[in-house]
Amino acid sequence: MTTTDGGSAPPGADAARPPGHHTPAGPTARSRASRRRTVLALARVEAMLLVRSWLVLAGVLAGGIVVWSFIRAAQPLWWDADWAIGEGQLVLAMAVLVAAQLAAGRPRRDAMTKLYASFPAPASTRTAGHLAGLAGVAPASLLLMGVAAVVVQMLGPIGTPSITVLVGGLLLVIAAGAAGIAIGARFSHPLAGMLGALVPALASFQYQRFPGAIPWLLPWPLESNGAGQLDHLPGPLAGYPPAAAHAAELAGLALLAGIVALAVTIRRGRARVRAGLAAAGAVAVAVTCLAGAGQLRPIPTADLNRLVAEAARPASVQRCTSVSQVRYCLYAGFGRDLPSLEAPVDEVLAHLPTRPGQPLTVRQVLTLFLSDPVLTHGHPAQQLAHWAAQLQHAQPGTSDIPPASGIYLPVGSWPDTGGLLAVARFDLALAAAEWAVHLPGSAGIVSSGGFQCVPVDQAREAVAIWLAILATHPSASELQAGLPTSQHMFGTQVGNAIVPTWNYPGVGNGYVTPPGGGPQLTAAGYLLARAMTSLPQQRVAHVLTDAWGSWLNWRTTDAQLAAALAIPMPSVPAIPPHPSRRAVAPGPGPEPQSPVCTG
Amino acid sequence: MDEMTLNVTAVAVRADGLSRRYGATRALDEVGLNLERGITGLLGPNGAGKTTLLSILATVSEPDAGRVSVFGLDPRDGAERVEIRRRLGYLPQDLGYHRHFTVAAFLDYVAILKEITGRRDRAEEVARVLAAIGLEDRARTRIRALSGGMRQRLGIAQALLGRPDLLILDEPTAGLDPEQRLRFRELLSDLPGNPVIVLSTHQADDIAAICPQVIVLLQGRVHFAGTPAGLAATAAGRVWAANERDARAHLSWRGADNRWRHVGDRPPDDAELVPPTVEDGYLLLSHAAGAR
Repeated sequence: MTTTDGGSAPPGADAARPPGHHTPAGPTARSRASRRRTVLALARVEAMLLVRSWLVLAGVLAGGIVVWSFIRAAQPLWWDADWAIGEGQLVLAMAVLVAAQLAAGRPRRDAMTKLYASFPAPASTRTAGHLAGLAGVAPASLLLMGVAAVVVQMLGPIGTPSITVLVGGLLLVIAAGAAGIAIGARFSHPLAGMLGALVPALASFQYQRFPGAIPWLLPWPLESNGAGQLDHLPGPLAGYPPAAAHAAELAGLALLAGIVALAVTIRRGRARVRAGLAAAGAVAVAVTCLAGAGQLRPIPTADLNRLVAEAARPASVQRCTSVSQVRYCLYAGFGRDLPSLEAPVDEVLAHLPTRPGQPLTVRQVLTLFLSDPVLTHGHPAQQLAHWAAQLQHAQPGTSDIPPASGIYLPVGSWPDTGGLLAVARFDLALAAAEWAVHLPGSAGIVSSGGFQCVPVDQAREAVAIWLAILATHPSASELQAGLPTSQHMFGTQVGNAIVPTWNYPGVGNGYVTPPGGGPQLTAAGYLLARAMTSLPQQRVAHVLTDAWGSWLNWRTTDAQLAAALAIPMPSVPAIPPHPSRRAVAPGPGPEPQSPVCTG
Repeated sequence: MDEMTLNVTAVAVRADGLSRRYGATRALDEVGLNLERGITGLLGPNGAGKTTLLSILATVSEPDAGRVSVFGLDPRDGAERVEIRRRLGYLPQDLGYHRHFTVAAFLDYVAILKEITGRRDRAEEVARVLAAIGLEDRARTRIRALSGGMRQRLGIAQALLGRPDLLILDEPTAGLDPEQRLRFRELLSDLPGNPVIVLSTHQADDIAAICPQVIVLLQGRVHFAGTPAGLAATAAGRVWAANERDARAHLSWRGADNRWRHVGDRPPDDAELVPPTVEDGYLLLSHAAGAR
């Protein structure tokens, strides 16, 4: 060893070039092959790290919970459930974005950049390895998708799943991972990934801030962003939101994020590589923009015409089935719900002393919100007004749907299994019983100006509740929970008095439309019905049969019924008068001066 | 002279007029050196420019001026730089670790980045270096559970992956206990293939023990280049042992025998002249550079 402090090294220093040393052309070819192998080996390791990441595991679990919360709450309609599965994928995507950012920022965060800079594999090779390693999250995404699909399938869904929508969920996860790598390549702090993950989440949850169909451009169109009401009917608007265009958009975004990640990490001066990346970036931008434009096109007028027609005149497209003097009118594809709907109605009718003279119709209805720009953007105001008039004309209780003979069920609201189904069956039984005792149904609400009438001190109310309990046997605790307590006062003002009310199970769930169903039931009516259930059924039936016509009269009081049954009148919790409290929350829509149900 | 002899004795790493500034601070000032195969010790106080010099030799950073040639390859050329890195093992100072990795997983990952892409090759290589630094039984331990000394050994292990021709170790013995330092010396001395090893350290006795060549870097300039014996010889006739401290000496410290050791230009009273060590030579050089 010698030093050449300030001077030049002796000749012959380069003579130490080792045997087998390549000329500059040689190493380049060797480098390409080595880089390919290095990328693949890195991808394998990074994929395994992602698969084992607690973040990704938590994302799968949280995504599963989100999917379950959506599919358990409503009827399993495949054209709805496949988008709901994508909402779970959005949660997984957020976790993957954070995990990928942490992985890509690992060298800088762990103070290893100097060491990494000494390796033959450059930063761009590592980035390529990270990007290829995103294949590791595909199994997690597919697992979430598969399990959710099996669960939906076990619930006995209506329709078939859209592979395009499901694949879109997978692409969403991949795109989020690529975005995470792009962020991590530039910003290594863990907060950067978390902030990055919040962007798609907040964007998706802030859909209402965006005009027109722009919510469809968000990382994932949420159930409630207008896609929800489009998804309920399989017929006229199948294909909306545009799943293929959205999948293409996500693929374009994934490609773009990957290119950005590579561009950030590629070494200066590699002009050819940079030019290639720029070209690929232009393609990615073009794909994304074209896919976006495809989603922003207005829904064709013909499709909306058919949708409005189906909503306004359901009878024109529904198939009706008559069973035991009851007509069940359902949209195509929903026929499998028939047994589930029949059972509670049949049970109520079976306990009636006398069959009602007029027939009952149980009908599915579709509520459209034309004010939602996702649905109607790009259409002239005149056209919107025309559609709105058609829908207004077809409200329950108006000309197309006769009043007082129908129970209306919103499309997609009927649960399939579990506790929710039991609650929905009670609500339907209660609606049938109210119809049987001539209490005004949902149609009566509209005709009374939007206020629910209150059957104050009417024996027929207790009879209706007793019939519904007898038909579906709900749990006593669920029924009891709807009573006022000292902490929660439920009441509504009728005349000068505040009447304690009773909120039946599922009152706000919208199984029967409009939400809240028929009249506002009273605590007194429920308590008397509960007392009736403690009596032998034959004894009650005997009393009711003896004077059925009189029990249906709105002037027959609770006290008369109690006397006939030889039971004391139950005591009703009192609500202390308060000058500022005309209606006490939370009651289902109590307004000042609710009318008394008559007729 | 046959080819083997040429490879052993010829210059492997050459640096000419290397300069590097960090703002107003001149870290390297026209440093030139030629390194042959074997171990070269790099001595210098903190801030002398050792880490800057090593990072330039490791192709991690670039000089503001001057040029480097490693095995005849120019790191300014992209392809040749990669070729240098393929033959390089580097342990930077204050290396961080992926603490949630296991020891074996970390080495496996580094092996991939060193382009050891075959799974079996990697597994064998990881096992080899783990055995070399005595961490075989810690292969499945997470790095965060290792002691500081074990982490330092892991850092050395990653540098050894791929049997590098050029091994650059920036303070590798920091944090090692005496037994581990002895084992490290043995490891470096026994490395096959006679690689070029550049070892930066504050431990003069490490240099004396295993380095045939030593460079003293002070204030960004090379102040000595030669053998450890040559460095020690620079202090010949200027190191004394005495029972009392001498205020006139450049440097004084109490030794293990409870006697004062003085390095200076004049003998203290009642002092006896003692043979100088590498440390004496280095301290004298360092003092002279500081006084300049």
